[in-house]
Amino acid sequence: MNTRRPVAASLAVLGYIVMIAPLMFVVITAFTAGSTVRFPPDGLSLRWFDAAVTYEPFMSALASSLQLAVFAAVASLALGVPVALAIHRGKIPGKGLLEGLFLSPLIVPELVVGLALYQQFMIGLGLNNLTTLAIGHTVLMFPYAVRVTGASLALIDPAVEDAARGLGASPLRTFFTVTLPLLRPGLFSAALLAFVTSFNNVPLSLLLQSRDFRTLPVTMLDYVQQNYDPIVASTSVLILAGTVLVAVVAERAVGFAKIFGGINR
Amino acid sequence: MRRGGLAVLLLPGLVLLLAGFLVPALIMLLAPPDTTIGEVLDRLVQMLADPYDLTIIGRTLGLGLIVTVTCVVLGFPIAYLLARSQSRWAGVMLAVAIFPLLLSNVVRTFGWLVVLGSQGAVGQALVALGIVDEAPQLLYTPLAIVLGLVQLFLPLAVVSSYSALAQVDASLDEAARGLGAGRARTFWTIVVPLSWPGVVVAATLVFAGSITAYTTPYLLGGSRQRMLSTQLFQYSSSTIDWAAASATAMIMTVLVFGVAALSSMIGRRARTS
Repeated sequence: MNTRRPVAASLAVLGYIVMIAPLMFVVITAFTAGSTVRFPPDGLSLRWFDAAVTYEPFMSALASSLQLAVFAAVASLALGVPVALAIHRGKIPGKGLLEGLFLSPLIVPELVVGLALYQQFMIGLGLNNLTTLAIGHTVLMFPYAVRVTGASLALIDPAVEDAARGLGASPLRTFFTVTLPLLRPGLFSAALLAFVTSFNNVPLSLLLQSRDFRTLPVTMLDYVQQNYDPIVASTSVLILAGTVLVAVVAERAVGFAKIFGGINR
Repeated sequence: MRRGGLAVLLLPGLVLLLAGFLVPALIMLLAPPDTTIGEVLDRLVQMLADPYDLTIIGRTLGLGLIVTVTCVVLGFPIAYLLARSQSRWAGVMLAVAIFPLLLSNVVRTFGWLVVLGSQGAVGQALVALGIVDEAPQLLYTPLAIVLGLVQLFLPLAVVSSYSALAQVDASLDEAARGLGAGRARTFWTIVVPLSWPGVVVAATLVFAGSITAYTTPYLLGGSRQRMLSTQLFQYSSSTIDWAAASATAMIMTVLVFGVAALSSMIGRRARTS
């Protein structure tokens, strides 16, 4: 850090401590040999990692969460990319308004969206919670697909597409051979954001849980409320490790300052 | 194919948006199960006059404000130092700051239980140092919620400030310095005004996020420090009071839209002035 700016540097250090320190404590706790979450830990062991990977409720919830996140990422892209194309390439009146409409699920509090889906789909229409979760997560991830692919579409010069069409390519062929390859980093960013956001989601999934299909974060949240043992710490460390892996891949593929830059605009 | 034909591509997305979001949300706000819009509105009026409910609204807004100010005060310097740094470590430090955005809120918030819990690091340290005899109650306090939410939203503040600062040409700082302005003066007259729109975006995202977050207030505030989100969940899962749930949902939705509108007004004024 720059020592010639002492105030800024001190605030920045404090910021990093608040962001990172609690995670360090989770990591240390996960390696405890004792049976409670306490600090300093009682000796070192890997027993809680063993406990985590053999704890059936967490592992089946992990499988559910992964399934749901993959579905939400694919479905939101399948629906979101055409919308981004229409908004950025079509001659449609009221584009700004339309884009605002498609981004609106990001503004309404997630818990409110979850409650609405719970009342209308699970209670009202009697749909099962898997279907409702799939719809809900797709709705929530959809704006990322529209916004992020839209942002990268805006960077592609339409003249390239016009040239392809001028040379006799059909619109479909132009899309698949010209637009889509140029769009790849944007699609990767959108899919990653959707996947991660869906995997980590709590507020929307909270009301839509059932015994048959529960997501990992919600299961962990319930567990913490009733038991306070290091299995949550070790599970957290495993999630942390997985997330670091995702981050490294994302950094190599697109650079993730760029990925998150896209959602704020 | 004429380009107007691309409008067809909007259809599947529109269907999802209407059926999966807009219609259910409207029905919930206006006509939830087993109750009427009249009852929801009655409940809303009741809440706005009830001291207990007002405490929850006040706590939600107050803590949201503290979290927002803290995130801007801590996040802007991080973004500023990273954006102006020549070091090759700047990229790594930026990645470290943004990385938590990929990480589950449950995991991030759980860390504070380890730090603030009665057997946790801070309490045990205070006892070991002989400052207190018994570990103080740090969990289920407003302080715990603020710490948890700041940790949650600081990366967002850093990203937004960083992308704004990256657009401010560093040579403008140098020009101001060259003309004799000190570091502090350059910072306040050049850097801050030019990156102001980014700060407004950051503050909006953080505030809207803080007043609607669920996981953190639930784990760190519990039932002692209810916020609108935890109260909404209470109404819809334990007490099953649909009118109260809808009224709370209305308050949350109006607050978030209010913040978004206010921020776009401020943003517009900043651009025209």
